[in-house]
Amino acid sequence: MTTENTQSLENILSTAQTLRWEVGIDFHEKVTESIYTDAARIADRATTRPEEKPRFDFDRKLDQILTSRVWGFPLMLALLMIVFWLTISGANVPSSMLATLLLDTIHPLLKGFAATIGMPWWLDGFLFDGVYMATAWVISVMLPPMAIFFPLFTLLEDFGYLPRVAFNLDNMFRKSGAHGKQALSMTMGFGCNAAGVVATRIIDSPRERLIAIITNNFALCNGRWPTQILIASLFIGALVPVQLAGLVSSMAVVGIALLGIFLTFASSKFLSKTWLKGEVSTFSLELPPYRPPRIWQTIYTSLIDRTFIILWRAIIFAIPAGAVLWLSANITIAGTSLAGYLINFLNPFGLLLGLNGVILVAFIVAIPANEIVVPTIMMLTVLVTGANGGEGAGVMFELESGMETMALFEAGGWTLLTAVNLMLFSLIHNPCSTTIYTIYKETGSKKWTWVAALAPVLMGFAVTFVVAQVWRLVEMIL
Amino acid sequence: MVNPLFALLIAAAVTVLGFYVFSPERGLFWKWQHTRELSERVLREDALKHIYHAKNASVESLAGALSISTNQVADVIEGLQSLELLEIEVSNFKLTSDGRDYALRIIRAHRLYERYLAEETGYDEVNWHEKAHQLEHELSSEDVEALAQKLGNPTHDPHGDPIPTADGKMVYSEKRTRLANLELDERARIIHLEDEPEAVYAQLVAEGLHIGQEIRLLEATPQRIRFETGAGEHLLAPILAANISVIPFAEEPEKELEVGLPLSDLEIGEEREVLSLSPRIRGAERRRLMDLGILPGTMIEAEMESAGGDPVAYRVRGAVIALRKDQAAMISVSAEA
Repeated sequence: MTTENTQSLENILSTAQTLRWEVGIDFHEKVTESIYTDAARIADRATTRPEEKPRFDFDRKLDQILTSRVWGFPLMLALLMIVFWLTISGANVPSSMLATLLLDTIHPLLKGFAATIGMPWWLDGFLFDGVYMATAWVISVMLPPMAIFFPLFTLLEDFGYLPRVAFNLDNMFRKSGAHGKQALSMTMGFGCNAAGVVATRIIDSPRERLIAIITNNFALCNGRWPTQILIASLFIGALVPVQLAGLVSSMAVVGIALLGIFLTFASSKFLSKTWLKGEVSTFSLELPPYRPPRIWQTIYTSLIDRTFIILWRAIIFAIPAGAVLWLSANITIAGTSLAGYLINFLNPFGLLLGLNGVILVAFIVAIPANEIVVPTIMMLTVLVTGANGGEGAGVMFELESGMETMALFEAGGWTLLTAVNLMLFSLIHNPCSTTIYTIYKETGSKKWTWVAALAPVLMGFAVTFVVAQVWRLVEMIL
Repeated sequence: MVNPLFALLIAAAVTVLGFYVFSPERGLFWKWQHTRELSERVLREDALKHIYHAKNASVESLAGALSISTNQVADVIEGLQSLELLEIEVSNFKLTSDGRDYALRIIRAHRLYERYLAEETGYDEVNWHEKAHQLEHELSSEDVEALAQKLGNPTHDPHGDPIPTADGKMVYSEKRTRLANLELDERARIIHLEDEPEAVYAQLVAEGLHIGQEIRLLEATPQRIRFETGAGEHLLAPILAANISVIPFAEEPEKELEVGLPLSDLEIGEEREVLSLSPRIRGAERRRLMDLGILPGTMIEAEMESAGGDPVAYRVRGAVIALRKDQAAMISVSAEA
């Protein structure tokens, strides 16, 4: 190439560069926009719509009621109440049936079988009292409510109602920097946080999705409801006359759930203003037409996709939990079990939080599944106090009568403060390992998984600490 | 048992201390980190940039721009001279050609990074400048080229300033002029909105002005500048209007300047044609809206309001899409049905 040619080539290039500057900043945008516009025009020309009548009058009427300022919120609350009521009351019977079958029938059979073939005590205890017991417990508490809640929820989704819920609630979520669809993942979280985290897939904006994932833990999941209900009815219901006990204790549980919702909003706002400030944020929400739900298909897919996948993950995590629990209660050094050492070690810290060492150890052991917190607490309390009752070291149990349970807790040195702080800590602590694993799968980020796992536990320490100290201060003054 | 009052006091003290040290931006920890970052190199680079931009940079102006003492400025100048990046001619600072190249590299990094923040992250406009200012010193030239490639070799930063090319060329268009210099009734396109001082910029943004917008000058007197855009008629003091740069159209465009109405002003049941999407809708959000078919020429109808008042659902191409008020405010639709 001659110098002249190179020269003219360079001239052309620099002219091109100057022209690029002159066509302006939005040149690319304009090109993209006109490509989209052309594509839309071509599509419009090529498609014919028979008698354009885009929305049925029925849809419009229904939307006018379901999203109206007067009826929108009451109808939504009523519908959600029905779903929760069906779940809680409907799950009671199959739950106790499963418990009778798995815990009261099969467990003794397995023990008997072990005795007949002369299995050594440690293998028998490890397998049947540890691993089997934890797994069976998780299944019997977890499966029935999930098997009712998820299909009901999916039916509402299929019908097209859930996007309207997001539409109605978006204003509240917008104010805390979140997406209206978080209302749905949060509601799903009341069933199971792991499922709630998966449900955030419907949020297409990265920042709002992370917010929904990290804060889902504050939706009180069905593994924690039984703990709340038991403690509230034993301690808080006992504060008032018998005829009011039921009402007051259920109000306490609802109060905890509402506190969870408040924390969801507060921490969403905090996250969107601080750590997540730089994540991309967009908003759009499609309101699809209503359609009759396909009932059988819905039940089938929600059982397979949601219930069994989650249950399977929970079982995978429950197995080692049962093993650890049994081993820590049965391996002894100088006459004290490993669990005993850990409890003694954590006890001062527990007391500072208005809890105790047993409760903290139970929350550590129960990281795989919140369902086993209460039975673990009871087993460990028997272990350290030597109180009557229980099934032996490392075997979880629950007592039939409230009186006996109360007596056991009192032997463990519990007060009203312990009960209140246990309820608070059960709401505000790390998500279970199934959820943590799911968060990792969904975000693909170690950093956000750590934040989601540790931030709530630190908050829980702070809240219980302040409550305990203020409580004691007030007690001292009075 | 620990005395509760004592425990609470200690916890409160730790919290206050933690806040004092780590609170974002104002905390001691960040301040300490900031001073540590102000290494010699960073000061030199900032000085080069300042001298490149300023018409007559002085020791005082440098001290102000870099927020350091005049003594420190003297050290920085000495350093630049020994590296042969700067010459002093009759008490005037003059960059050598190496110095100019260096300055342009930093400017390139800064403007590219601002563009990246605008397109690919969710940071607010107000955070861009500061973030880019930090990163411009940290990105290696390979980083910068990779960034340019990823963004499709953009020519302008989000404020409308040209990005220098990799071989150190930067041209401000010759046709670029101040708004007030236009002929009466002449039509032009906004090419740049000066983002400093912040208060003035905020006022321009509040007027609904943005880069790329068509503009027609209606009146220019020493007291006021009156002009028209797609968002309606505007009236500004000349000192504010001086921050708007435009490029006049080479030839009078065929289409009349159409004054639109923000989509958020539609009443339920009204149908209009989309005129434009404001450039303030960027990156992922813009793509999303275009994917949904919200494009110039599309008919859009306000369908229903949510029980909370915001968002509002619109009917576009047979689908019902909910948009928040602040988004709808950035979509311009025809004023007449």
